[in-house]
Amino acid sequence: MPESIQPKKIVIFGYMLVPMTLFIFAVFVPLVAAGVFSFFEWKGGPNKIFIGLENYITLINDEIFWTAFGNNIFLVVACIIGQIGLAFVFSLMIYSRLVKFKSIHRTFGFFPSTVSAVAVGFIWRMVFDYKNGVINWFLTAIGQEDLTRVWLNDEKIIMFVVAIPLIWQYIGYYMIIILSAMSSVSQEIFEVAELDGANGIQRAIYIIFPLIKNTLLVCLTLCIAGNMKAFDNIYVMTKGGPGYSSNVMAMYAYNISFDKSNNLGYGSAISVGIFVLSLLVIGGSQLLINRATRSKEV
Amino acid sequence: MKRKLLSVLLATAMVATLMVGCGKTETETTETETTETETEVAETETEAAGYAGELSIMHFSTSEESQGNGGSDGFRTMLSQWQAANPDITLTEEVLANAEYKTQIATYAAAGDLPDVFLLQGMNTKTWAAQGLILDLTDAVNSSPYAADYNKAYLTPFMDGDTIYGYPALTGGTCTVVVYDSAKWAEAGFDTFPTTWADVEAASAYFDEQGVDTIAFGNGGGWQANSCFISTLGNRYTGKEWYQSMIDKAGASFEDAEFVAALAETQRLFTSTSIFNEDFNAITNEDAREYYISGDAAAFIGGNWDVSYIQSTLSGTDLYNTTKFAVLPQPADATKDPNSQNIGLGYAVAVSTEVANDPAKLAAAIDLAQYLTGPEFSTFVAENYALGGFTNVANVDLSGFDQWTQDFYNWSYVDTTACEIYDSYLTGDVWGLFNTDLQTMMNGGITPEDVAKHAQEAYLANY
Amino acid sequence: MAGKSIKTNSKFANGILGFFMNAMLILFSLSCIFPLIWMFYSSLKTKREFYADVTGLPENPTFQNFIDLLSNPNNNLLSAMLNSVRTTFLSVVLIVICGYVLGYILSRINFKGNRVIYIMLLMGMLIPVHALLVPVYIVYKDLNLSNQWFTLIIPYVAFGLPIAVFLVEGYIKAIPIELEEAAAIDGSSFSKTLFSIILPVSRPILVTIAIIQTFACWNEFSFALILIKDSALQTVPPALTMFKGQFSSDFPKTMAALLITMSPIVVLYFTFSKQIIKGMVAGAVKG
Repeated sequence: MPESIQPKKIVIFGYMLVPMTLFIFAVFVPLVAAGVFSFFEWKGGPNKIFIGLENYITLINDEIFWTAFGNNIFLVVACIIGQIGLAFVFSLMIYSRLVKFKSIHRTFGFFPSTVSAVAVGFIWRMVFDYKNGVINWFLTAIGQEDLTRVWLNDEKIIMFVVAIPLIWQYIGYYMIIILSAMSSVSQEIFEVAELDGANGIQRAIYIIFPLIKNTLLVCLTLCIAGNMKAFDNIYVMTKGGPGYSSNVMAMYAYNISFDKSNNLGYGSAISVGIFVLSLLVIGGSQLLINRATRSKEV
Repeated sequence: MKRKLLSVLLATAMVATLMVGCGKTETETTETETTETETEVAETETEAAGYAGELSIMHFSTSEESQGNGGSDGFRTMLSQWQAANPDITLTEEVLANAEYKTQIATYAAAGDLPDVFLLQGMNTKTWAAQGLILDLTDAVNSSPYAADYNKAYLTPFMDGDTIYGYPALTGGTCTVVVYDSAKWAEAGFDTFPTTWADVEAASAYFDEQGVDTIAFGNGGGWQANSCFISTLGNRYTGKEWYQSMIDKAGASFEDAEFVAALAETQRLFTSTSIFNEDFNAITNEDAREYYISGDAAAFIGGNWDVSYIQSTLSGTDLYNTTKFAVLPQPADATKDPNSQNIGLGYAVAVSTEVANDPAKLAAAIDLAQYLTGPEFSTFVAENYALGGFTNVANVDLSGFDQWTQDFYNWSYVDTTACEIYDSYLTGDVWGLFNTDLQTMMNGGITPEDVAKHAQEAYLANY
Repeated sequence: MAGKSIKTNSKFANGILGFFMNAMLILFSLSCIFPLIWMFYSSLKTKREFYADVTGLPENPTFQNFIDLLSNPNNNLLSAMLNSVRTTFLSVVLIVICGYVLGYILSRINFKGNRVIYIMLLMGMLIPVHALLVPVYIVYKDLNLSNQWFTLIIPYVAFGLPIAVFLVEGYIKAIPIELEEAAAIDGSSFSKTLFSIILPVSRPILVTIAIIQTFACWNEFSFALILIKDSALQTVPPALTMFKGQFSSDFPKTMAALLITMSPIVVLYFTFSKQIIKGMVAGAVKG
């Protein structure tokens, strides 16, 4: 913004004071508290024993935690492709003159992200169910009975299986964000980039993509942040099982703190670990994107 | 259209502002809702009369839970009767469903902010006692007017050494019972349920041909294989002394050969035989019992809560009349009591140490705890549900109940021997790890020796 | 001749493409609305019927679950809904206003600390809430902030803010700066530019934020569970757990309760979806 229309510093300060104070209080005070607790052996109650970095040393050597971290990374990648990718494609389609019922698609698509994880989990368990599930029924119907399996008890594919509902549920969420960003793009540009034939799609992507790049980057950040602390959907579907094969970091921290034991000191250390790792992953992704876009521009 | 939207928004805004206005004055506390049952108010309510003021209690007997669940129904009924008998005391109730209750009570414990009276889970006893959160109730329990009728065996999960920290609450029920369709098993050639796993395996060949699962089991939550299987099967190998030694830290180990043998047998049964439904690790006990109800399985293994559900669901069908109960079959290489099943009370009414600062309040809290677990409660659940609690009541008249209820009462309290529910003891740190490993082991992903090794490490580190 | 055949060819290709695009979107939309339909007809079943066939239609549809819920003197769904309406409304209003102002400032104004604040907000999105319940509880309790009518608004606004700020920031960056320059030449003050020139242009993203946050606040569970003790102040999600037992859950009844409690926002959303979408599109910048 040019100097001439820069407002006075005091005005900016005034506008930011209240929201930022509230934000720092609500977000950082508990985090700092958790940081403090993470240096203690603490099983709940008034007695805490200071143990320095011991919880963090345990964390670094905790295979279960790193498996969970790997699962989070898998979810991040799957959801960037599945959620943002499909949301972008669907949004483009909705802008095409070949597509009907545009407003219905806009309205309905968002709906799953508003339904509680419990209900969504229930529906997808019916899809994957071994005896009465849709998938095994279909495989049997087309004569591929060999391919039927207990979908929710197969360690090798369990992460794919739990990622599908997660992706499906949030496509519409990113769709309405992308659609609102597209609404700032002039209508004429869409007419130029009209989806007719394969070239049209390509053109649309090359023309529209840069115009809403900022919003897409925000979506990317949201998606990484959301999946680094994924919890609800997986808890409902598998509780992290079988074994630890679909365990994720936030669920591990929750189990350590509440569900399976009351080891709050270590639970706090895990929370801090999640926070730091998420920061690294987001920082890393932004570096990658910056480098990629810069090298293109040169 | 725009105007319509605007007016709705305005109206919402107004309503919201109004509510903001009155929010503060709404109510400071929730008082107990019901005073409907004033008929059977006990006359022993004298001790508590000295106290007037607030008393907070937190529990998980929601009104939903109490429908059909005798323990919860009795608990709620006792609570409202006690409130009616003590009008000077304002009972502040916080009621949450069980899963949320556990999270919330752990949060309160961590913050040192427990309610006056609450339900203590067995495995938290030692930790919380060490933290000074829960009050020593040894004298109160021993000098209780009902002390002579207490079933003292139920106290062990709530003791640290000789100190008692709670009144075992709700109803005692088994965690491991085989529910089977005697008609199907007769067709397979068994008049009663087999007493050995070898016979069950033989029967499974027949049921496979019929396209029926021999036994339905659900371990999707991870805890079922522990509470409803290993806890009893382990006792068949180790005997009760071994687990007592685990509780007392008197030398027993998860790596003892007998316990590892129990794990190995479990792994064999779930991975190398066709006895159980293939999706046992992906479904919960709630799904598994549906396999039995729909006739897709010839038997089901679960806890007393499953039995009440199956009973109310099957009522009036043929299967209702042919359903019978059995103990877990005995493994070939197991040597201890083949008639055992794990039974106990998982929660106890405990009192926060804070309450001790006010003797009158403490007297009221103890009176409430004794009332919730006393003869009134036991009589109520015996007469209405054929269930037993902490206090024994003599001469329960079962004649008014049907065959199913009588059979299950006798099976639970008369015809079988009791062993411990593992996860009522020790600490959650052990069980969290153990349950997850167990699930992997039942898929064949880890050896029994490693499961035992991990559990023992966690036991040594945390208990 | 040649030209005509190309034209028919592309018409044919368009037809195929159109068919596939429509088919895909229709399938997707159907899958999205299926949960609502399924929840509705499941709520008309008895518990028994539901477990016997989870996907099947009810044989003897009954509104008994709804009747039970609304006539049960022990449930506090109605007061919970009022609490949820109040909390959600105030939180969303605050999130939209604060998010808009912060997002605008961060995207347009250079000052020391601009990036610091951006990164702090980013960090806010990375907090694993489920794992921090105990510190949260202790902090709120010690400051006497727990168990008040306004308690939940604090975390809802704080945790809703980052998403709002980022969306606004990304959106405003795409708006040509000439708008503000023209306003400045006309002598418009910062605040006037902020609220009467840029605000209308940003309407699509603000509507989107409002929708997302309305549902997020309405459905939030963890804070609502631990920070509110008094059942008169409880919001809907914790109140719904009353329909869960320790070892059994009555799903049809839970579905009925979910439907009752979701109905206000779902009805609002579907009724006004046309206007909402119009609002999103109408703000589009020309040129």
